[in-house]
Amino acid sequence: MPTVNTTYEEISRLLKKEIPKPELVERLALLGIESEESEEGLKLEVPHNRPDLLSVEGIVRALKGVLGIKTGLPQYPLRKPKIEVVVDPSTSTVRPHIACGVIRDVKLDEETVASLMQVQEKLHATYCRKRKKASIGVYDLDTLQPPITYTTVDPEGIKFVPLEYTQALTPAEILRQHPKGVEYAHLLEGLSRYPVLIDSKGTVLSLPPIVNSEDTKVSANTKALFIDVTGLDRRVVESALKVLMTSLAERGFVLEGVRIKQRKKTRVTPQLKPVRKALAVKNTNQMLGLTLNARQIAQLAKKMRYGIARVTDTHVDLLVPPYRVDILHEVDLIEDIAIAYGYDKLEPTIPPVCTIGSAAEIEKMSTKIRLTMIGLGFTELMTYSLISTKKAQLFNKEVVEIANPVSEEYSAVRNSLIPSLLDAVFKNQQYPTPQKLFEIGDIVVFDEADETKTRTVRCVAGAIVGKSATFTNVRSVAEAVLRELGIPFQTVAANPEGFIEGRCVSFIHEQEVVGKAGEIHPEMLELYRIENPVAVFELVLGTI
Amino acid sequence: MNLDRYERKVLGVLAQYEGAVLVEDVTKKLQIDQATVMRACLSLQEKNLAKIEGKEIGYVKLSEEGRKYAQKGLPERRLLKALVQASGKPLPEIFSLASLDPDEQQIALAWIRRRGWAEFRKKDGETVLEITQKGKDELEGKTPEEELIESVREKALELDSVRLDLRDALQTLQRRGLLEILTKKKRWVELSGQGRELAKKGLEEIEEITELTREDLITGRWRKARLKKYDVTAPGPAIYPAKIHPQRRVIEELREILLEMGFTEIKSRIVETEFWNFDALFQAQDHPAREIHDSLSVKKPKEGKLPSNRLLRRVAQAHEKGVVGSTGWGYKFNPAISKRLVLCSQTTAATVRFLASKPEPPVKVFCIDRVYRHEHIDYKHLAEFYQCEGIVMDKGLTLRDMLGYLKLIVNKLGLEKIRFRPGYFPYTEPSVEAEVYFPEKNEWIEVLGAGMFRPELLRPLGIKYPVLAWGIGFSRLAMIKLGISDIRDLYSCDLEWIRQQR
Repeated sequence: MPTVNTTYEEISRLLKKEIPKPELVERLALLGIESEESEEGLKLEVPHNRPDLLSVEGIVRALKGVLGIKTGLPQYPLRKPKIEVVVDPSTSTVRPHIACGVIRDVKLDEETVASLMQVQEKLHATYCRKRKKASIGVYDLDTLQPPITYTTVDPEGIKFVPLEYTQALTPAEILRQHPKGVEYAHLLEGLSRYPVLIDSKGTVLSLPPIVNSEDTKVSANTKALFIDVTGLDRRVVESALKVLMTSLAERGFVLEGVRIKQRKKTRVTPQLKPVRKALAVKNTNQMLGLTLNARQIAQLAKKMRYGIARVTDTHVDLLVPPYRVDILHEVDLIEDIAIAYGYDKLEPTIPPVCTIGSAAEIEKMSTKIRLTMIGLGFTELMTYSLISTKKAQLFNKEVVEIANPVSEEYSAVRNSLIPSLLDAVFKNQQYPTPQKLFEIGDIVVFDEADETKTRTVRCVAGAIVGKSATFTNVRSVAEAVLRELGIPFQTVAANPEGFIEGRCVSFIHEQEVVGKAGEIHPEMLELYRIENPVAVFELVLGTI
Repeated sequence: MNLDRYERKVLGVLAQYEGAVLVEDVTKKLQIDQATVMRACLSLQEKNLAKIEGKEIGYVKLSEEGRKYAQKGLPERRLLKALVQASGKPLPEIFSLASLDPDEQQIALAWIRRRGWAEFRKKDGETVLEITQKGKDELEGKTPEEELIESVREKALELDSVRLDLRDALQTLQRRGLLEILTKKKRWVELSGQGRELAKKGLEEIEEITELTREDLITGRWRKARLKKYDVTAPGPAIYPAKIHPQRRVIEELREILLEMGFTEIKSRIVETEFWNFDALFQAQDHPAREIHDSLSVKKPKEGKLPSNRLLRRVAQAHEKGVVGSTGWGYKFNPAISKRLVLCSQTTAATVRFLASKPEPPVKVFCIDRVYRHEHIDYKHLAEFYQCEGIVMDKGLTLRDMLGYLKLIVNKLGLEKIRFRPGYFPYTEPSVEAEVYFPEKNEWIEVLGAGMFRPELLRPLGIKYPVLAWGIGFSRLAMIKLGISDIRDLYSCDLEWIRQQR
């Protein structure tokens, strides 16, 4: 879950009210925000789907509603645009979407700057998918000479001083040298032209999504901000701008639109008009198990900062605040009604859903065999089903391999329980023998006919370690298991990898090999650094 | 006086002798193991019927070098014999004839001269070794040392039994490192007056039985005997049973609870297509959980197969434009991504597969299986762990019903207090997180997540009823139940650890 760093004092200041800390923590929890106190202050964990809660301002806005300090739709008056951004068609194949805004009358004290940087960083990391879907730039408007052009340049075609640098670099040099360039270079990989924002004097604002220019940097004296969001996903681009601007508006700053000229069309961003959505009283009550009337639902919705457009007996028409980019469906509104009602006030009920439970057949069989093995004096193990490709292939070359393993040790899915059983034998070498170990677990084998080209197969495997690790002993155990399963079988001499020739038998049931038992070859024991003789068996119990 | 079987046997043997008898001799006579005989002797002593005496006995034994000479002869003897055959020849030739290695040559020269069997003389300006008269006389004889070696060659000799005239030789050989003296404790046992009396009287007294045998039973001997009383408070040897793995026990406890509650068990597969693992769960194709840093993708086999066209189309539509009033995610759905194979990262894949079979309500199913994530394994992370989840589907189910089931499950786990918080899961709305109070930790811990499946998930599968879905943070619960703090211990194969778990 994404986190927001703040302090109790900052929240109180923005709320303009002091709520006792334990109560505040509980209020936040009932909004789905977990808080953790540390020396630096409060660390708040917010839900993945709520970018509007990625700023302290956004969290306080929500708190004001549930605390009744300020309810209903937050008003975000937007001044007429004065600034124009011209979009060059060449951007359409590089980074096609852009939305911009202006914020005036800003006072950038330390706290505000920290908060602005935090919300930008958190939006980048989560909602904007590490700048891939969208990236945000914030500039000192007074350093710019509008109109501003969003266009593309040759990687070596322009030079400007990137943030935190003193020397002018070309975009290509930035990608090689600047820390942000190195970090995000992959986002521009393979492009022959790079996107840039330039003002009418030719001052470069930024090389999105990499870095801004030092010339347009925001300072403590900045009076007005110019904001751009560019990216690959139109919805995310527009939403990120709305979230960022409405969050800053909570500090009392003035919002102003920007005219965007793109392909002969002109539009104004951001679009802060609330979206109207109808919420049915019946659906709400059905889903939550409550008996609220329309008026009550409207009251609860206002606490969640919705505006109310109309209330009838059957419906409440809600105005969704522009920053609520998570609302996809009526169910999302209903959840908000539940949150406003209070999860702590929802009385749990047990419905009369009458069903008869039953265990999976493969689990019934596994339980039976587990008890059989315990009865035979074997102790159960549970090992990882992820194993080293190399180790798996010692016994069987056909193994499911992972494309992005964390390490070679866990780079395949086991095709037999035996390799990990031998690992366990090695790990228990320090204890006296004889040892008798077993595992019941799943393996994966190839199956061209299946949707997943594989089959998950339940197996049982056992190992006898020490003086009694003989072929006769282990085959007797395997046959006891088969007998308990009621599976008639025939035996055939086998010579699989890893076993001593002439001391391994395969069990055949209806023309299919269902398992084997035998003594592990000393060569294999040496590989595993096992110093005791080991005899093992493995039987297939069924397909999952 | 009650004697057990062995005590009686030993008493009988001892009565045949006048004085003390070696314990080994009794053993030989009775043909039973020495430990049993010794135990019987001790027990007789306790009853004042016999007396055991021990003594340290010294033994003479050949050292390794001594054994070698016992075979080949002492170096000086071999040199003497060679001198006779090759009188006047150069030394190396004589040495070789006597097959003396360099070490032995020095020993042989020193001793042959000390014994006066030979001496160096100048002859034609060269020094030669010449046999003396004494040497010639000794040619056929045996020195006391040789005699002693001969007598201990077969077996160790008791120190006291070494002949007086060989005592000096004993010292010499010991100094030469050819003999070793070791000590061993020997025990004699002798009947006491009381013991002899009892033996004379005959052992008509009641026999005492230690280990009850089949023989005792079928002959009815046990009637005449007395069953020996043990010291039952003495500590016994520890044995350990074979066990079910601790993590398995927690799984079984949960299975039992859910089966009792009327849930039917379903299973999840290890390899899954992205369609079932993500798409069908309304997780956008660019969702972070689908990135390589989160789930494990499969390289071999390369890709799986798509589901039916109809299902694929409906799911794609839910993602792109939404269904039943939803706006969807608003991106272009790519079936090539749906075909990719991953290691199942959530058991919800199995639940959704089950829902796709269009079951009729009422339905309750659960699944406990392993899921896989791209995680480095450390004390709080595993790359594969168990998930336990379930669904309830019926007409008219509500969020409050969901809370009811969560409460019931928690109560069945033996926990009393539960509280609910809003939560977020990509495929449920409303969503809820449940925190449970653990008295042993004095802490509220989040162990359950739940919610009602989104319409964007249900509709493409053709489900028209509300579905409550819940999941238990299995590893967290198991760690608390087993009292472990390192998550890797859930898969511990350490026999000693498993043995200690109750």
